[in-house]
This record gives sequence, structure tokens and C-alpha cells, in this order.
Amino acid sequence: MSKAFISAVCMTKIGRHFKLGIKNLIHEVTACMEEKIGSRPDYLIVASTFSALQTHQLDVASIATQYLGWSNIPSIRVETGETSGIAALELAQYIVRSGAASKVLVIGVEKMTEYPSNKVNADYAKILDYDTEYVRNITPPSYAALVMKEYMRKYGATRDDIAEWPVKMHANAVNNPYAQLRFPVSKEAVSNAMVISEPITLLDAFPIGDGAAAVLVTNESARSKDALEIVATAAATAPPLYLREDITELPATKAAWASLKRKLDACKLSEVALQVHDSYSIYGILALEAVGISEKGKACQVIPNLEYLNVGGGLKARGHPVGATGLYQVAETYELMLEGFAGKQYGGEYALIHSMSGSDYNARLALLRRW
Amino acid sequence: MLEGFKILSRPEARVGVLGWGAYIPRQRLRASEIAGLWGFEPSIIKALWIEEKAVAAADEDAVTMGWYAAKSAITRAGVDPQEIGAVFVGTESKPYAVKPSATIIADALNVSSKKLSTDMEFACRAGSEGLRIATALVASGTIKYGLAIGSDTAQANPGDVLELTASSGAAAYVVGPAEEAAARFEGMVTYITDTPDFWRRDCSHYPLHGEGFTGDPAYFHHIMTSVKMLMEELGLRPEDFDYAVFHQPNGKFPLRVGKKLGFPKEKILPGIVTPWIGNTYNASALLGLAKVLDSAKPGQRILVAPFGSGAGSDAMSIIVTDRIIERQEKAPKVEELIARKKYISYAQYARSRHIIRRIV
Repeated sequence: MSKAFISAVCMTKIGRHFKLGIKNLIHEVTACMEEKIGSRPDYLIVASTFSALQTHQLDVASIATQYLGWSNIPSIRVETGETSGIAALELAQYIVRSGAASKVLVIGVEKMTEYPSNKVNADYAKILDYDTEYVRNITPPSYAALVMKEYMRKYGATRDDIAEWPVKMHANAVNNPYAQLRFPVSKEAVSNAMVISEPITLLDAFPIGDGAAAVLVTNESARSKDALEIVATAAATAPPLYLREDITELPATKAAWASLKRKLDACKLSEVALQVHDSYSIYGILALEAVGISEKGKACQVIPNLEYLNVGGGLKARGHPVGATGLYQVAETYELMLEGFAGKQYGGEYALIHSMSGSDYNARLALLRRW
Repeated sequence: MLEGFKILSRPEARVGVLGWGAYIPRQRLRASEIAGLWGFEPSIIKALWIEEKAVAAADEDAVTMGWYAAKSAITRAGVDPQEIGAVFVGTESKPYAVKPSATIIADALNVSSKKLSTDMEFACRAGSEGLRIATALVASGTIKYGLAIGSDTAQANPGDVLELTASSGAAAYVVGPAEEAAARFEGMVTYITDTPDFWRRDCSHYPLHGEGFTGDPAYFHHIMTSVKMLMEELGLRPEDFDYAVFHQPNGKFPLRVGKKLGFPKEKILPGIVTPWIGNTYNASALLGLAKVLDSAKPGQRILVAPFGSGAGSDAMSIIVTDRIIERQEKAPKVEELIARKKYISYAQYARSRHIIRRIV
């Protein structure tokens, strides 16, 4: 199979774009991409988790091609809950490697501010099992709260230990021009913020925002001068939280990692550029432990030392326009490795991107390498 | 002198406020009690700057409160009600869905039957539009005096964040020839767009709102646009005003919009009423203006900018005249009405505001 590369990226600022609909957001990143590559892609993939629920639009990928005035281009929408963006990247690289297309444009887009937050939160809870969990009023933050409580009980972590996460994410986001929350926070502010689901506070949780990010995946012949190789992707699913022996583990992430880690040459994982899924602070911490950056129960201590961890601020502070998030992770990494991003430049060889849905109901990893 | 000519040529400059009046029900419900009942984060009270809100009693409504405020306005104006040619009531809580409130109030005040009279609806700024229309009618010579009232017993969905602020109150203004005015209008502008930030569907007991959408694209955008438009048309800057009064959905928004426009806190605080009585909707900015007029001095210039969801904002520049002094003491002042209070429980509030549904 041929190799797959990330040849160009575009991002919009995440926020409450009251004047932009889902098609406008798609157009913003597409226009940016056309300017960068000077030609049209030969395949379009749109990752959007909530387009059907929040904007009432099915087949958003085809509608996007109509809006863009593109015809005769295959298009597809990808939805795998919160990992939709990386799932789309996964699909794009398979398409490129198979030879079916040489330039696949992957757009992640989410319009999250069309409705009051009660509807957004209700729709967000549909990433869990609707019949079993949703109808019993179980929501992602309530699960995350259970996990955080158990983690604190089991490993003796304190509220302040966990607050290391949002403090670092907010500090990173200050320098990210596309981030939704560009202000620093203190540990004290995290503890004293409004309680979302005890012990999770507002500053442990991602904000609701609109956004779009685009990534061009190409084969070798269409590769741009500045490119990252997609070494491999890996994905796995896991049993529901209530059937797990230990809810402080991320089983899908661990399974995906097991299949991927042999591809990472003998370099130190703590020196790799990392993007992990932190819809809630505790999940960022568990992700570090799932990929072995830290021993179980000790990730809080390593957070301050990881220079290339979620350089854009993570879901927590960059924001989490759900279907687009994975592609923001990729786009930030691309800029970090090739152009410099958020005041940082990463000179190493590898980047690892982690995405998961809910309490790790499915996890997706992408391993990128400087070309 | 061209500037002066431009100002004098505005029709509203021929009109002024002759008298103003206010009404605030006695009952107060503490915001902390509402927050405690529903489990709101206590910090939200501080973030919104809302301490307590006025609650209309079971025998008070937009008509009774509007009547009281109008009575005070007519007393201050010292005009014969028979010479009032128009009565407008801005409200979003009229007791009758069909049947004007304005006619009830006008007859109870012995206003002439040869008049224009209607209820107006534009969320929180219908009373303000009533004021603009009454002013235009006076300026055109159609009527001698006009009466504009903003009065509301605002509804709030129990448990919604709006319940912390939605309250009851009324303000009324008698407008007439500038020569008789306690405060003359210098200019008025209005900016209106279709912005669905807050609404109540037909037959719905409570309004809904777009959360953050009620802020930047609605309240802030409209008020800032209307105020800038007014200052540009009149050639005025924030330094030229002694007071700035804005619509007050909570205590914080008027301070924030004022800051964005370049008005210091000291010019905004005198017109703030919401932290102690809640958001009285159609009376909100107009009560703030009444509070400022209660103690304003001749020659002072006041900016008032009401806002109504849906959405629109008026901006008016008003200059106080010598006649204000004698009129200030003629009717209850806003501060006196704020101080006149008795605390009630949420249960009493629920009863007063007909939140408890029973068959009688």
C-alpha cells in the first residue's frame, strides 16, 4: 500500500459564531484550503457528529459540495461520536493508500450554538447508549464525575492534583489564535468554579463552541513540500462503563495503543508531541496513563513536564466542536511540527493523537511522523 | 452654529418630559432564596448582580401598577388629564390578551376620551417606543400632551436563570411642549433588527431565551449601535453626558455596556435599580431614568437607552430644565419605592405570581 500524508491544514477560530451556519463554516476552511493548494480535492469527507441533530441536515457532505459549487466529487459524512474527526482521517488515509483517490479533503465541522445548552447537552448525551443510558438520564459529565471520584479515591489524588490539567490547558490556549477560551486559570479558580457534576466543575469541562478544521490527506505524488506522514491509525471500542472492572482505565484507548505502539521506534513517549482527548480533566489524565506516559495514578505529577502536550489548549480550552475536534488536533500538530504553533516549535520526529468518545466508548489514535 | 441648528431642527427637540412617575410593588424576594431552591450556583447572584426582586401581589398587575405610575407622572406634570391626547402602555404581561390595558388606565385617570390609546408589545422596549410615538405626536401638533407607560409583571419559567431577575414594576412619562418640560429631548434614535434572543409563544406561560445569544448579538449590539448613532447624529461624546441609563436585565449588563461605550461607572450607577428590584422589563430603563430625574439638576444631560428583545434599542438624549426642582417632590421617588418593602418567601411568591395552579 502507498503512503499517506497530511499535506495542508486549515482552522477557524472556535467560538459562538452566531452569524455562521454549518455551510458557512465549511466554506471558510475550504476557501482557506483552496488558496493553499490551488486545486480541488478528488474526494471529500465531512466529519460532523451533530449535523443531523443540531442543524437538521442529513448527508451534510453532499450538501456541502452543492454549496461549494463542486460536482462530480465523491463525498461522505463520518460520525463516530466524539472521535468523528480522527475516524474521518482514518478513512481518508485508507482511501489514499488504496489508490482510489490522491487528494482527500477531510473537513471536521460542528455547529453547536443553534440551540440553548439544554438541547446541546441532551444531544451530546446521545453518544452514550440511548436505550440503556440516555433514557436513564446518564450523561457524559455524570460518568466523568464518577470516574474522577473513583480515581481520587483509588489513588489518593486531590482536587488540586486534577486541577493541574485545566491550568496547563488554559495556559496553552492563551497562545492559540484559534482557541475558544484564551485566558489562564488558577487551581483555586478550577476548584471554586460552578459545579457541573460533583466533583467536576465548569473549568474541568469543555466549552460549547462552533468550529471547522480541514486536513488534506494525499498520496506521495500529490504530497506538498511540507508534509507529515500518517504512519498508522488504530481504533477500538470498549464495553459500557457500568460493565467495567476498573472505571479508571480507558480500555478502548489501551487496545488501540497496543496495536500501534510497535510502530513507534524506540523514542521516548514523553518527548513525542501529544494530543489527548480531555473533554473532562480526568480523561486527559487517564489518557496519559493509558498510553503509558505515566504509571497508574501518577499522571498528575507529569503534566507540568510535558512541553508538547495539547499545545493548543486541548478540548478544555481550545474548545471541542465535537466532530471537528480530531482535525483541530491534527492541524495544530501539523503547524507545531512544520511552522511553529502557539509560540512553540516541535523539532522531534513523532506525534501521537488520541481521540475518544464518551467514557472511551470508542478510541482512535493517529501516529504522525515528520517526512 | 451649524451643529446647533441641526439639533434644533429635530422634531423631538420641540418636546420634553413634563412629569414622570414610578411604581414598585412592596413584596421582595431574595435572589438567594430562588438560587437555593433550584440549586443554582451561589456565585451566579454575584455574577449577575441581583440581590432581590419586586413581586407584584395577587391584586396587582400591569394595569394597576401602570395606573399608579401614571398618576404620579400626571401629578408631577401638573396637567389636566382631559388635555392628554394619547395613552400608550408598553407591556409583555397585559392582564387581557385581547382588550387594551391602556383604555382601563386612561379612564381610571380621567384622560379625555378624544384620544389615541393602545397597548404595545416589543419585549422590554415597547414602553420606550410608546414614549417615542407620544413625542412624535406632540412634535407634529396632533396632540398637546401624551402619556407613555411601561409596566410589567414579568413571567419567568420556574427554575430558569431568568427567575432570579424577572420582576414587577411600572414607570410613566407625560410628554408635552418643551417650554413646559422638566427635561427636554435633544435627540432620539432607534435601531431594530430581527434577532430572536428572547420570546414567548402564544399561550405559553413563560418566555424562552437563547442564553449567550441574548448578550453580544442582542443586548450589546443593539444598545451600542443605537447609542453610537445618537452620539454621532448629535455630535456628542460620553463626556458630554452627566448620566447614562441603560436597560437593566441584571445589574452587570448596564455597567458592561456602559464601559464598552466609554461611560464611567459613576455616570451609570445613579440610574441602576435592578439589583434591588429585579428586571421590571418595560419599566427597567424607564425606572432608571425616573430615579435619575428624581435628583437631577438643571442643565444636566442624560442618556437613556432602553432595549427590547427581538430586538431593538432606543437611545435618547435629555437635558434637564429649571422646572425639574419643583416637580421632584410632588410624587414618590424611586428610591422611596425601593426602600418601601417587605420580604416574602418563595411560597408566597409562587402564590402571588399564580405559579401555583389551582381550580377555584
